[in-house]
This record gives sequence, C-alpha cells and structure tokens, in this order.
Amino acid sequence: MSKLFKKTLIMIVILFMIIAFTIAISTGWNLYNDLLQEYKSKGTAIAKSIASSSIETLLNRDASTIQAMIDRFLEISGVSYIFVVDANGEIISHTFVPTIPEEISKIKNDKPKDTYVKEIVFENMGIFIDITSPILEGIAGYVHVGMDKSNIIAQIKSAMLRQLLLISLIFIFSIIIAYMLVNKVSQPLNALTDYAKKLTLHDFSSPVDIKSDDEIGLLANTMKSMATDLHEVFDRYEQAINDAIVELQNTLAYLTAVIDNMADGLLVTDTDGVITHVNPALSHMFNMRESDFIGRDCRSIFGDKFAEIVEKSITNSEEIFTTEIELAQKRIGKAVATGIHKDTIQSDEKGIGAVILIRDITSEKEVDRMKTDFISTVSHELRTPLTAVKGFTEIIKKRLEDDIFPNVTTDNKRVLKSILRIRDNINIILSEGERLTALINDVLDISKLEAGRIDWKLENVRPADAIEQAIIATSALFEQKKLPLIKDIDENLPEIICDKDRIIQVIINLLSNAVKFTDSGSVTCRAQKLEDSILVSISDTGTGISETEKDHVFEKFRQAGDTLTDKPTGTGLGLSICRQIIEHYGGTIWVESELGKGSTFYFTLPLKNINDVSDISKITYNNIEKEYK
Amino acid sequence: MKKILIVDDDPIIRNLLEQILEPFAEKDIEILIAENGLVALDIIKEKQPELIFLDVMMPKMNGFEVCQKIKNNPTDKIPYIIMLTAKGQETDKEKAKASGADCYITKPFNINDLLNKVSEILQVNLN
Ligand SMILES: Nc1ncnc2c1ncn2[C@@H]1O[C@H](COP(=O)(O)OP(=O)(O)OP(=O)(O)O)[C@@H](O)[C@H]1O
Ligand SMILES: [Mg+2]
Repeated sequence: MSKLFKKTLIMIVILFMIIAFTIAISTGWNLYNDLLQEYKSKGTAIAKSIASSSIETLLNRDASTIQAMIDRFLEISGVSYIFVVDANGEIISHTFVPTIPEEISKIKNDKPKDTYVKEIVFENMGIFIDITSPILEGIAGYVHVGMDKSNIIAQIKSAMLRQLLLISLIFIFSIIIAYMLVNKVSQPLNALTDYAKKLTLHDFSSPVDIKSDDEIGLLANTMKSMATDLHEVFDRYEQAINDAIVELQNTLAYLTAVIDNMADGLLVTDTDGVITHVNPALSHMFNMRESDFIGRDCRSIFGDKFAEIVEKSITNSEEIFTTEIELAQKRIGKAVATGIHKDTIQSDEKGIGAVILIRDITSEKEVDRMKTDFISTVSHELRTPLTAVKGFTEIIKKRLEDDIFPNVTTDNKRVLKSILRIRDNINIILSEGERLTALINDVLDISKLEAGRIDWKLENVRPADAIEQAIIATSALFEQKKLPLIKDIDENLPEIICDKDRIIQVIINLLSNAVKFTDSGSVTCRAQKLEDSILVSISDTGTGISETEKDHVFEKFRQAGDTLTDKPTGTGLGLSICRQIIEHYGGTIWVESELGKGSTFYFTLPLKNINDVSDISKITYNNIEKEYK
Repeated sequence: MKKILIVDDDPIIRNLLEQILEPFAEKDIEILIAENGLVALDIIKEKQPELIFLDVMMPKMNGFEVCQKIKNNPTDKIPYIIMLTAKGQETDKEKAKASGADCYITKPFNINDLLNKVSEILQVNLN
C-alpha cells in the first residue's frame, strides 16, 4: 500500500468516524424525541380510554372489572404498568407484580386536572414515563399508565447500531474501492520510482512496462528515453575515462622507463630534503639499494654541501645549483639541483621539492686535469724558448746599439742601409715576440676561465680605482695615437666585492680595443650606478662594427672584417675573456655600434650576489645552455 | 763582494740571465750558476749570495722546495729570492709567496725591468 494512501486513509477514517458519530447521535436524538412523543400519546390514549370507560366501574367500586381491563391494556407494547386510584389516592387496582414499588406513593396522590406526563424512576425497575389521566375530572379517581423508557433507549441503541453498521459497511466498501483505484494509479508510479532508483545505480538495462497513455505513461516513456541517453553518455564517459587511464598508464610507464633508463642519476626530494625517489642509475652510482635512500634525509647520505644546494633550489625557483659529490669507488659526480615549482606558485614561494641530477664526471675531471696539465706544460714549453728569443734579441739589440753601431765608421751606403734594416728587423722580432706573449697569455686565460681554473680573489674594489688603473695601463696606447680620453665617472660609486685584477683586465681590453679601432676623434669612459648594479661604458668614434658582426665579436678568435685581407691586429680573444669574467659575476656585456661612426661597449656588475661561493656555483638559465653545449 | 746566484735547469736561460746580468759582473759582482736545486743549496752554503734567481720548473727538486729550504735555514744569511715562473698556473703566485720568495717574475720577462729590480736590491748604480 502506498504511503500516500496510508496517510489519506487515516485522515479519511478520522473524518468518517466524526461524520458517522454525528449522524448516529442526531438520528438517535430524533428517534428518541419521536419515540418519547409516541409513548406519551400512546400512554395518554390508553389512560384516557381507561378513564372514560372506567367511570362507572369505579363508581361501583368494581375492582375486578377494572383489573381485567387494565390487564388487557398491559399487553400493548411499551406499557409497563397501569394502576387506578380513587379520589383519595387509594390504589384500586394495579398491574404491579409481585409488589407495588414504594416510589408510587410519591405520585399516587397527584391530582392533575388534565392528562399529565412526568418521568419517574423506580429503583430496580428503571425509568418510566408516567401519564396521569383524571377520571371524571378527578372525582372518580385517576388512571396512571407507565410507559417503559428503557425500551426507547434500547430501541434507539439498536437503531443506531444498525445505522453505524450500515455506514461502516458502505465505508469499508468504498475504502476498498478507493484502495483499488489508488493502487491502480500508484502501482505504475511505484514501478517508475523503482525504475528511477535503478537508474541512479546506473542500471540502465532493467525494463519498465507501463503502457498507459496518460501522464504516467508519458513520464515513463520520457524516463526511458532519458535512460537511453544517459546510458549512452555514461558509456561514452566510461570509455573516455578508460582511454584516459590507459593513456595515463602509458605515459607513466613511458616516464618511468625514461627515468629508469637515464644514464644520469636522478633523485627527488620533498621540501624537507627527504628523498622520495631515486632512479637505478643513482643507486648504482652510490652502490646502494633504492630502499637505502627512500625516506631518508639527503644530508645524512650525501652530506652538508649537497643538502645546501637542495635547500637553495627549493627556495629559489629561478636558479640552478651545482656541486661536486663523491660517488662510490672514488668516482666523482656533479649534482645539479633544480627546485620543483608548480606553475601556479609564485617564484618566491617555497616549491614542492627538488630534483637533483647526478652525472658521473670522473672522466671529464680527468680530461680536465689533463687539459690543465697540458696547458701548463705547453705554456712552460712555449714560454721558455720565447724568453730566450726575446731576451737574446734584446741583448743583441743592446749590444748593437751600444757597442757595434756607434763604432761603424764607414760611408759605405750598403753598410749604413743594412744597419737601418737590422734595427727595423730586430724591432719587428721584438714586437712579434710581444704579440706571441700576449697570445699565450690570452689563450691561457681563456682556457683557465673555461675550465673554471681561476681562483677568484674576493676584495673590496672601488670601481673608480679599477678604471683609473686600467687607464694608466693603456695611456701609452693613447699617447701613441694621440687620442684624447674623456672620463665621466660617478664620484659616489659603491664598492663591489670582486677580483680587482680581473675587472682591470676587462677595462684594459675594452680601452685597448677602442684605441686600436679608432684613428681620430676620442674615447669616452663612463661609469654610473644603476638600481642594483654598476654600469661601465667605453665609447669610441672609430670604425664601428656591422650589425652581423656584432653578434659574434664576443666569440673566441672572432674578429670583425675579413681576416684574410685585413691583417688582424690581435688574436680575437680579448672580448671573449671580458665576457667570461663579467658573466662570472652575474653581469652582462654588450655592444652598440654603427659602422663608420663608432662603438660603445657596455658591461654591468651587479652589486649583490657578486661574492660567489666558489664550489657551489650558481648558474642562471641563460648560461646553462652554454654549460651543456 | 756581492754575489748573484742563477738556478735554472735550462742552459739557454742560464746563459741569457748571465748575459743580462753582465753589467753587474762588470761592477765586480760575482755571478754564480747552479743547474739544479741540490747544487744551488751547496753553493748557497758556501758562497752566501745576496740575490738568487730561482726557476720553478726543475727536475729533482722544484723551485718552491729549494726556496723553502733556503728560507728555513736560520744559520745562514738569508738571501733575496726572485722566482721565475712560466705562469702555468694561477696558484704559482701564491705558492711562491708561501714558500718564502720575495718576488716573482713571469717568463718571458722584460730585460730593463729586471735590471732595475736587481740594481735596486743590490743597491748598485749601473749608470
Ligand atoms: N671598439 C671597437 N671598434 C670596432 N671594432 C671592435 C671594437 N672592439 C672590438 N672590435 C671588433 O671585435 C673583434 C674582437 O675583439 P677582441 O678584443 O676580442 O679581439 P682583438 O682586439 O682583435 O684581439 P685581442 O685578443 O688582442 O684583444 C675585433 O677584432 C674587432 O673587429
Ligand atoms: Mg682586443
């Protein structure tokens, strides 16, 4: 039975009961009044007829006749008792069996002028309607007829019962019919509800057969088509999800395979430096098992320096930190740490961990060492003969100038010409010796810079001092070409911490280039403070550099112009060395130039971060490309 | 009489230095020659020179070791030591300082600079 029906049923039953009882009560009341009226008139009629017919007998005092008469009337239904009293109230005859009730004494003396009705209660007998009728206006006496009131009540009761029964029957019957009707409506609704429940459990295949063409049938049809649509959509999504899962698994498997097959060791830590992942290459490098790493603090396994770069990379997303690390079997690795940062995270916020790549650089180190050894050997081997060549040439020159030439006293033109030639030639040997020395120095510098073999001094440097020293060192060049040097140096430049000799080297290189490529005009040296760096520029009014050459002048052995036809007056290493030095300090060097009008070389030196920690090198993204080239 | 000692394994460089220092020889300064560190130590003990030119790259005993030995000998008069380096390594400068050298000159050197330096040390006027 549906809940809806149950609820309404209760309401209906209550309503029905109220209605049924009201009807029954009103019916009973009516019936009671009717019956009472009927009894009264009946009793009155009886009393009157007895009264009229008993005058004579009473006067004759023929009690037995009266008795017989009243006995006859007693048979009429509803009549309970009859008694006759004389004018004095003496009971002449009565129908009470076996005895006269005591309560009669209350009424036997009533002397109404006309027929009179009143109620009387006899103990042990019930309630009666007593009708008194005077005989011969009371002279002959009175007749009392008692109608039993309990009879009325019994009648009313049975009548009411019957009525209730009937109404109840009708009610039950109608309820049954209503139930059947409701059921007929709610059954398809229930079926639909069940169906909908199944749909929510994604059971789209279960059937629902409601084939009526009313609203419910319509609803059922709509739901059915909705279910098919849903089924399709769900199928599609399920397929899509399955595809995505497969793809994800493939990607994961692919990534895992890539990571596992990397030649470099890979290690991932969380933000606390606890190791969360290592690849087989890494385990192999340290001759440990994977389980030996996972969950442990990287400091406890790899030491402080390593932990430091991990920490730095986590807090700094822009930069990459490297350090060397000892591997198993006396091998050496280079660890490169990068912070893992989600795109959504701001660069200054803490990332979610760090990735560290470790490459075995034992052989590179060995090559490096060999290279350095080679460089120092070659440099020694070149310098020693060069020293001899230069030294002896100078001695020869000196001896010639001091001892020989002054003593040649001849007018022989050939001899005099030879003396001039020898002087020239010796000067050429000397200057070429100088060039060779400069070349060797530059080559050594650049290879040391590239091998990271330079010990950078850390000292407080006043930029103005460095510039001044560079100017002094190049003053001879300016004098030679008679070029003026204009200085525009900010008095209040802050001190920087760097290797003074290296900065001087950069400025000397730029100044000597400016003089070298300028024949007339002037050279200007400027220095000023920017927001967080110092900007130095050296401008000239010389040949300038073409747009295409501009990109290459900082490369090794690159010289603008055609090196085959224009005899190069240098080795093309100067600017390359400058760039190496400036970039070591995190600065930049660049050139602005117009062919024929002159060039300006700029470099910046950042004020902070300049004191680089030597064994933890910080590489900006800009440089890392170069690192791996 | 003042003495200058030249320590170099390379005979050509020894010869060059000898010729460069000729003006001092003319001023009655004795030029001594040693072709390796051991010989040099013997000569130093015997002759006690005021100035020593010491090459770094030498077989058997390199210039730094020789320099250390000389400077750590308290009994003798301590000479002025000029190291001759080939500028192979940046650290040479520091090593020279650490071993006690008074100054160092990279090859190839400038003759006039060298002469000026020597006359300053020995306080001999060449002109
Ligand atoms: N101020 C300048 N004006 C014009 N061209 C210049 C200037 N500075 C450099 N260049 C060009 O850039 C090239 C590279 O300069 P770089 O200083 O590296 O080498 P270099 O001066 O030729 O040789 P060195 O190694 O002796 O310095 C030069 O050969 C020249 O063509
Ligand atoms: Mg140059």
